[in-house]
Amino acid sequence: MDNQELIERLREIVGPENVLASEMDLMLYSYDASLEKGKPDVVVLPGSTEEVSKIMALAYKEKVPILGRGSGTNLTGGTIPTKGGIVVHFSRMNRILKLDYENLTATVEPGVITLDLQTRILKDGFIYQPDPASQKVSTLGGNVGENSGGPHCLKYGVTSNHIQGLEVVLIDGTVIQTGGESRDNPGYDLPGLFVGSEGTIGLVTKIILKLEKAPEAVKTMLAIFETIEDGANTVSAIIAEGIIPATLEMMDNTVMRAVEATIKVGYPLDAAAVLIIELDGLPEGMDEKALKIMEICKQNKVREVKLAKNENERAILWAGRKGAFGSVGQVRPSYLCCDGTVPRTKLPEVLGKVIEIGKKYNLPIGNVFHAGDGNLHPLIMFDERDEDEKERVLKAATEILKLCADAGGTISGEHGVGLEKLKETYFIFNEGDLQLERDIKSAFDADNILNPGKMIPAAESDASAA
Amino acid sequence: MADLTEKIKNLTDTIGRDFVKTDDRTTAQYAIDGLTPAAVIFPKNTAEASAVIKFANQHHLAVVPWGSGSRIRMGNPPRKLDLVVCTRRMNHMLDVDTQNLTITVEAGVKLRDIQARLATEEDRCYLPLEDLDIAADEIICSDRSHSGCFIPLDPPGSEKATIGGIIAANASGPRRLLYNLPRDTILGVRFVTPQGDVPGSGGKTVKNVSGYDISKLMVGSMGSLGLITEMTFRLMPLPEKMQTLLFGFASLSDAHAFADGILKTKLLPAAVETMNAAAYEHLGFTGAPDFSPGRFVVAISLEAFAPAVDRMAREMRQTAADNGAVSSALFGEHPHQQFWLAVSDQAARLAAEYGNLIRAKANYRISQWKDIIEFTDNALAALKIQHTIQAHSGSGICLINLLLNENADGLKPEAAAFLEKLLQLSRKAGGNTVIQAAPADMKPMLKIWGETGSDFVAMKLLKKQLDPNDVMSPGRFVGGL
Repeated sequence: MDNQELIERLREIVGPENVLASEMDLMLYSYDASLEKGKPDVVVLPGSTEEVSKIMALAYKEKVPILGRGSGTNLTGGTIPTKGGIVVHFSRMNRILKLDYENLTATVEPGVITLDLQTRILKDGFIYQPDPASQKVSTLGGNVGENSGGPHCLKYGVTSNHIQGLEVVLIDGTVIQTGGESRDNPGYDLPGLFVGSEGTIGLVTKIILKLEKAPEAVKTMLAIFETIEDGANTVSAIIAEGIIPATLEMMDNTVMRAVEATIKVGYPLDAAAVLIIELDGLPEGMDEKALKIMEICKQNKVREVKLAKNENERAILWAGRKGAFGSVGQVRPSYLCCDGTVPRTKLPEVLGKVIEIGKKYNLPIGNVFHAGDGNLHPLIMFDERDEDEKERVLKAATEILKLCADAGGTISGEHGVGLEKLKETYFIFNEGDLQLERDIKSAFDADNILNPGKMIPAAESDASAA
Repeated sequence: MADLTEKIKNLTDTIGRDFVKTDDRTTAQYAIDGLTPAAVIFPKNTAEASAVIKFANQHHLAVVPWGSGSRIRMGNPPRKLDLVVCTRRMNHMLDVDTQNLTITVEAGVKLRDIQARLATEEDRCYLPLEDLDIAADEIICSDRSHSGCFIPLDPPGSEKATIGGIIAANASGPRRLLYNLPRDTILGVRFVTPQGDVPGSGGKTVKNVSGYDISKLMVGSMGSLGLITEMTFRLMPLPEKMQTLLFGFASLSDAHAFADGILKTKLLPAAVETMNAAAYEHLGFTGAPDFSPGRFVVAISLEAFAPAVDRMAREMRQTAADNGAVSSALFGEHPHQQFWLAVSDQAARLAAEYGNLIRAKANYRISQWKDIIEFTDNALAALKIQHTIQAHSGSGICLINLLLNENADGLKPEAAAFLEKLLQLSRKAGGNTVIQAAPADMKPMLKIWGETGSDFVAMKLLKKQLDPNDVMSPGRFVGGL
């Protein structure tokens, strides 16, 4: 089937206005938030599960590569159609279908924006915990695909821990419901497998989220340090004290400067690092724990600890953190965010080495990250037009991920493997580990047409054949 | 069979004669639903376990993994049974990193040993160490980490169950309300595939999206995709204060009004367990001698910072009084630990006492627990079948034991009819009903795993791809996988 015929068939399924195929349109879908590029042959915007099912069945029959896309905030090239084919954009499937507070669930379509859902339910006193920094634009479907994290994952876990059920369209167009409005449904934990599968084994068309009651009290502090090491040691010391805050976020001087140049939240520009520490839950005991935390900060040579006095001050502290990635554009036009994660106790050591790597390659690196769960986000800043610099960036990134893997950690905490980290998977997996992943992939997609070439490096035999 | 015995002898070279048992006495002890294996094998580590399963795959033998055997009654009768692989000797704690709040252990390690290892210097532990039915030297925790943390799991059989069995069965307990499920606690896994390979996934970090989340796939897979050999978990600091509240109510309506009221507040209890009086009485709990259960008991576990526990206790006692509680008790850490251990041991205790015990686990939308209890209590009372009911209120789970004696054969058809009705009610409430234990002769008339849904097709795809020779626990899992 040639491309024109494919487009015609897709127009029959979703209506002509929901198929995009002009040069301009295809260009717009050829990148995401990573450095990767690749143009699709056609973009389709389905309005229902039934339409997704028909699109998948068509792709399956014609052996056309197909991949799902939300808002395209992916940081590892997971939504780049490197082999062309069909991009299924879920922007029209953006309805909140059911808010069931009695049963602590919400049922949504995959195109719902994360923050829209969160804002909607917070009015009623409920919360959906995962809070990736991109939540203002990211979709819940994308969060499911990547198993997104966020600051509050330290206490509450990642997306996977908050997904109770899914509707998934399999490669041949079969629609399945797995998990559900109740917990502990018998059988394999397919929601657990599909969440974080980077769109390689099915397209999610409905999501049943687990809700929680919003905490009665929240206390947010900003601790200011003269050295990064003091901040990192504080993180471990707080947990060692038996306190698990809702968040423990760190930002270094480079990032604070970038934030202040754009958002102006009042971060101290002469300090080396700040920690945003948030406690939540019942108010009883919280003041006592906050005092304990301040004491630990003091033992680790903190300069000052500021306590947000009201919701407005809290919002300001967070605005800087959430806007950090965007702000570094002030320093250099592009950045590459490494997502390596290490056991928390290795933080001081690994951070020191990250700084050395920046010096070695003569690249500015800003650190803004989820310190509490050891999830680093060194932002390597550069100019994409400078080929030599770009090459150094990639080398530095690989070295940072190797460092994380060697420290007993992993190459991705919450951004996924996508295209960008395919070769780095060998830092943590051997051929046997990867073969199991390939087996799982082929159980669901033997022809390798669903988001092909992502997440799992091709077997050596296949690679040499290709 | 003689041929098979001959083949099995080859394994003794690898595993050692003492750990490949083919004598009738041993194999009889490891019979499953009336099927006796040709051999029981006790590998000492992952490499040996891999050799055994590679061998089984070559010869198309059927293997069932066995931890402590506490959950072996779950599942359909095996379609075929050649080898039982017992993880008892794989009992090493490979990495105890309490600073980082993670632990990596082998499958045969007992949950109680993990909790003991994580106790404080003063022996403050999540479980009541001094009350465990074992000699002190049986606990493998010579090297205490003195950290004061725990693995947040309280499944049935906390005293005897192995961690591998708990994970394979996705077993959870009342305190999942606060601490969530094994799937949320596990961070990494290594297992022997049906071909004998030993892949791993995940690791020591809470966040990890490098590849498929295979740990979650293995949790609850009941040995059908491989033999889990090593697991990494996240730990929690021991709660600053632990306390239990018991309230007796004259009716289910009162108990429900109270428990539901509590669950709608912002308070954060670790468990809200609603049980009928029979369930309470069978606990054999002696820590609250003056407490009379009424018809229904709501037991609440509080595990938090001390001031938060105090406030919750104060408000809950008021709410209970407002909802017509007829009795109450409040007790501190040691009896609290004893009480929840007794709850966790209920299944084993009842199985020992009632030869034809049937145990069902219903799941449903969390708000619908009253309907399930009400139906169960009325239906079984009408059939004159003694029963215990225990609902994890707030989690949408109800555990029901039909207390049938050896001589209760006449009641089996009625019991089966009841279980079918319970299944249909659970289906309507968005869930299912799994039979966790039943006499072997009743299994053919029961839907052991409830009803399969539209996702069964995906489960079949996985099983077929990963275990094409049907080596691992054939037939035991959902839909006869």
